[in-house]
Amino acid sequence: MSISIIQAILIGLVYYLGINGTPWTTLLGSTILQKPLVAGVIVGFILGDPVQGAIIGAAIQLPFIAYISAGGAPPTDPGLAGTLGTALAMAAGVKPEAAIAMAVPIGLLGTIIWVLHMTIDVFFVHAIDRAADEGNMKKAVFYHVAMPQLVTLLLGAIPVALGCYFGSGVVTDIIGLLQGRPLQTLEVIGGLLPAIGIAMNLRAISKPGILMWYVLGFILAVYLGLQTMPIAIIAGIVAYLYTDLIAKTEEKTVALESSEDLDEDFI
Amino acid sequence: MEEQRVKLSKRDVLKAFWKWTFFSHSNYNYERLQASGVLQSMSHIPEKLYPGDKEEQKKFMQRHMSFYNTEPHFGGIINGMVLAMEEERANGASIDDDAINSIKTGLMGPIAGIGDTLWQGTLQPIALAVGISIAAGGNVIGALVFALIMIGVMLPIGYFMYMKGYTTGKTGVEAILSGGKMKQIIQAASIMGATVLGSLTANYVTAKSTMNISVGSSTLALQTDILDKLLLGGVPLGITLLTLYLLKNKKMKSTTVMLILVIIGLICGATGILG
Repeated sequence: MSISIIQAILIGLVYYLGINGTPWTTLLGSTILQKPLVAGVIVGFILGDPVQGAIIGAAIQLPFIAYISAGGAPPTDPGLAGTLGTALAMAAGVKPEAAIAMAVPIGLLGTIIWVLHMTIDVFFVHAIDRAADEGNMKKAVFYHVAMPQLVTLLLGAIPVALGCYFGSGVVTDIIGLLQGRPLQTLEVIGGLLPAIGIAMNLRAISKPGILMWYVLGFILAVYLGLQTMPIAIIAGIVAYLYTDLIAKTEEKTVALESSEDLDEDFI
Repeated sequence: MEEQRVKLSKRDVLKAFWKWTFFSHSNYNYERLQASGVLQSMSHIPEKLYPGDKEEQKKFMQRHMSFYNTEPHFGGIINGMVLAMEEERANGASIDDDAINSIKTGLMGPIAGIGDTLWQGTLQPIALAVGISIAAGGNVIGALVFALIMIGVMLPIGYFMYMKGYTTGKTGVEAILSGGKMKQIIQAASIMGATVLGSLTANYVTAKSTMNISVGSSTLALQTDILDKLLLGGVPLGITLLTLYLLKNKKMKSTTVMLILVIIGLICGATGILG
């Protein structure tokens, strides 16, 4: 499948809208569009096959499931993996596992775009400082909304459009050369990489005993064959009852301790 | 003679909330992160609080250009509170720049911690897991389900927090932060998150062996005859736990661990141990 100029530009725009914090769909909207799960469908739609886009996007999403953007230095960019990664994987016609292995290094490249935008925006903060000294709110708003977004649009959309347009042919050729065992190996790597997203997420919510719940979810899925949604609901119910019980026990212990104190006072 | 009170209308507060919702990160940068986002969200406020007073309006702008970085949905409670403090100040209450700044810098960290844990650390992975399980089968609705869960939960939280901050002020925020309910919510959320991650591991981390082992005259398929008998999906589970061990106990960077996984995949794939 080849990607036309118009398609490449549209995919570039999808990437821009999914850069964390682009205002046009709210901050939340930008983080939603940033997800390969969502971007994959849109890119698939642009390329004429939303179903394949959904499948590829869902696969690419996995290593990025724990992606947390907090502060300044994200380790990778799910937005670029989801847009450029999906586009190139669809152009090359690879399996979802191979798409994961292709998209992960692409995601790492995306951090360059992020660092550039976070750095260039510093100039605009200083411009807003000057506007504040003049008491000029219109100017401050201009430098907060228009200028940084213009820069981000150029920084984001252009490389992605170029990558889609010129990359699709190159990637298709490379995948053609890799047929057989090399491509199979790429799929093996792609099968392992989702572990990183899951493990990072586990680390983020890590508390004593949390691994027990993790194993429980695993067993429910493997041996009972339950889907993710019912497991989430079961986990929610058990989590509520369990934490409620703990909270009540703690209250009781506190009450008990204070009544013991009273006894001692009497003696 | 009593001076006339300036009052912000509900519309003014709503306007600030919506501008914050849309533009908080528009000029996100390494030096002061969301600083100008705070100012822009309140761009209509100085004229309301200090009509015609250029000097006070200038001071307002200057004091809201300080470093600010929080989780914008939960952190909206701080913005709402600051708005209430500004209104008090304009009416003569003795709230100086320091008071406003220390509220912002003191609360932004803890609230971002709670917000990011609940949103990006728990709700988002669960919603993604649900979306992925639908989309992986070739259904475009998966993306929509994810988007609707996120919007349906986060937008009301953002609205509630902002308004709560404005109406209850400083004491309200401290009560929410120190309450036992918050601890329970976080605990329950992480239990739910961990369980869903378990099911994700089972479904999407794939490592299957195609090797056969000859024992005397009979051949055993390593995967179906041995590994699956021990524990279905044991290899993916082991790989994920190894990854967690490297990240958490060995404190490796995620890119390093990723490289290790790629090398493992390369070796096992090339030799045919996995495939």
